[in-house]
Order: sequence, then structure tokens, then C-alpha cells
Amino acid sequence: MTQFQGIPVSSETIRAAAAGDAGAHELIYRCCSRPVYSLIRRLIPNAATADDIFQDVFVEVLRSIGSYSGEGAFAGWVRTIAVNKCLMYLRSPWHRSLFWIDAHADGDDAAFVVVDPASRPDAQVAAVDLERALAALPPLTRTVVLLHDVEGYKHHEIASLLGRSTGFSKSQLARAHVRLRGLLDPNLPTSQGESLQCTPLSTNY
Amino acid sequence: MHATVHQLLSLRDGEPVDAEAARHVERCAVCTAELARLGRVQQGMQSLAPLEPPDRAWQQVAERLQVATSSRKTRVPRAFAAAAVVVVVSGLLFRQLDAPIDELPSAQIERDSAEEVLSLSPLDQLVAQSQELDQMLQYLPERPAVERVALAVTIDTIEERVQWLDQQLSYAHDTGLNDAQATQLWRERVDLMDSLVKVRYAEGAPLSF
Repeated sequence: MTQFQGIPVSSETIRAAAAGDAGAHELIYRCCSRPVYSLIRRLIPNAATADDIFQDVFVEVLRSIGSYSGEGAFAGWVRTIAVNKCLMYLRSPWHRSLFWIDAHADGDDAAFVVVDPASRPDAQVAAVDLERALAALPPLTRTVVLLHDVEGYKHHEIASLLGRSTGFSKSQLARAHVRLRGLLDPNLPTSQGESLQCTPLSTNY
Repeated sequence: MHATVHQLLSLRDGEPVDAEAARHVERCAVCTAELARLGRVQQGMQSLAPLEPPDRAWQQVAERLQVATSSRKTRVPRAFAAAAVVVVVSGLLFRQLDAPIDELPSAQIERDSAEEVLSLSPLDQLVAQSQELDQMLQYLPERPAVERVALAVTIDTIEERVQWLDQQLSYAHDTGLNDAQATQLWRERVDLMDSLVKVRYAEGAPLSF
């Protein structure tokens, strides 16, 4: 389930922030920063870039908070801004030119700071494996699987965001799971594309 | 023949699937196990622990907000002054065209005022234009929640550049920007804002065939 659900930002806080109240700005930041950072950091494994985008998102959220209409959850509005910023980066020629470097940086060296790991010792190893497997996916595939399986976007919504077809989104999701399976359990048969036939499976996930 | 990953994902997500494939999955232990695994992977992703933002991130965001606010505050009064001057000049010039020759003293005063205003630096005129475009932008409808990628990229790219220009202009005093350099930045801002207004207008306009 998306971490954006149930974020406690009151309408009074939003109004105060729109009026320029610095305290309200900080409160909104404190409420939303973890889900926003988690989303950005997982969509864009390069830490320095993710940090820059994270700042950009909050500057835009707090500068344009007056344009939030109140329709829909506030956290959803924040998430839309975060997703758009990430997609803008992924589509940029600058990112494409760095794709080769990113492809290497996205691999096993990708590091994540997990909040309070001691509280979930049994899940820790699998979670780290999953984080690394996600970071090793190609950017577009990773984007689709995170938006769909974690954030709950529908295929047609992802298709609109990416300017592609619904079928494209579905194909990318299938491809993501085929790759994830190979990354999480290399002993299983390798990918045969979207029409991969199911096989007996590991119980790691 | 087992179900494909595509079909299994559709089953997992409650989407319509070919009836034959659905029946096969119910009977096939291999497909059932794969379907369960796909569900576990999704649950695993959803339960990944939140990540902690960098310690100084809020401080940096707050500093950037402050810069943006002070930039806006310093720009607006100057722009309003320049815009007011432009309006006055237009009015004076219009009246001057109709003024009879025997009204020379007052006409002379008006002409002096007009000349004074016309002698405004190009910088102030650009500031005024920029402010007008800012106001026009405010009257346009909000951006839709979902929009075409190409359009979104164009708008975001322009807005980012405008933000960068605003930052440069707000630091103009500290960085010792001279008039020529400031004029160049303001000119670029006017051009970008003009493009932004046009693109946003086109985006908001209803399609017609």
C-alpha cells in the first residue's frame, strides 16, 4: 500500500501554508517528507539526483499550495507533483546521456537507508534484496512497477503519464516481474519475455 | 500450456482474463504458486520501509522558499511602477495627439513627462512586460492532473528555466550583475514567459475539429 495514504495534513494547515506561514510549511514537510523521499529514491536510485528532485518537489509543493483545490487527498496532490518531477528527469536528455553511467550505478552498489531496520529483523534480508532488485531494473520498467504495484496507479493512468498505450504499461509490468524473478532468485529459469511460462517457484517472495 | 506472466498479473489485479486461462490457473499447481509469488512480491514492495530524507533537506528547502519569496517581493513593486508608467505614457501620448496648438504650455509639460518616461531603461520596460505575463498566466486555468508528456516536458522545462532566472535575478545585487547582464536575463524571462503563456493557453483551450 502506498505510504501516501493517511498522511495527517489538516485543511487549516494547508490554508496557513498557502498564506505563507513558515510553521505550516515545515509541518507539511514533516508529514510528507518520508513518503515523498521514498518514492523519489526508489524511482531514481542515484542519491544525489534524488535529493535534488526531493528539494524541487517541496519547493514546488509549498510555492503552489494555493492552487491545491481541495478536491482529492492532499497527499495525492503532493504525490502527483513528485511523480511528474521524477518523470521529467527520466525523460530529460541529460538523464538519457547519463544512462550508461546510471546503469552501472543502479546495480549492487545502490545503497538505501532503511528506517528502523531493527524493528523488522525477519524481513530485513528480503527487503534489501528487493530494494537492490528494483534498483537494478531499467528506469522505465522500474517506474511502471512502482507506480502500479506500490502506488496503485491504473495502467491507463500510467499510460497517460508516459504518453504511451495501456498495453505498453502492462508489458512493462510483466517485464518487470520477469526481471525481478531473475534477480531475486537467479536459480530459476531466465526470462523469455512477456510470454514467459510459469515455472515452479522459490518461496522467497 | 501454463498461463503467461501477463495473464497471472491480470488475475492478481482482478482484471479480466481469458476464461480458459483462469480455469487453468485454478487447476494448475505451478500457475497457482506463481500467482501467489507475484502477490508476495507486490506485498514485499508495498511493505518496504520508508526511507529517511537527508538531514539538511528541510533547511535547504526553506532557504530556497525564502529566496523565491524575496525575489517575488522585490520584483513586483518595481514591475508595478514600470507598468503604471507605461500606462501613463500611453495616455499622455494619446491625449497629446489631439491637443490643439494653443495649449502649448500644458502640452509641453505632458511632452516632457512622456519623454521622461520614454527614457526609461529597457530594463524597466522588460520588468513591466514580465509582470504582465505573470498576471496573464494567473488567469489561465490550472494545469490538468494528467497531460500529454510532450506538453508537460515543454511546460516544466520552461518553468524550470524561469525559476533559475528568478534565482539569478534575486542574487543580482550579491553577484554584482551589471545592467546589461540583468537586461539580458529579463529579456530571456520575458521570452520564456511569453512562450509559457502561449503553451498553457493552447493546453487549456478546448479541442475543436
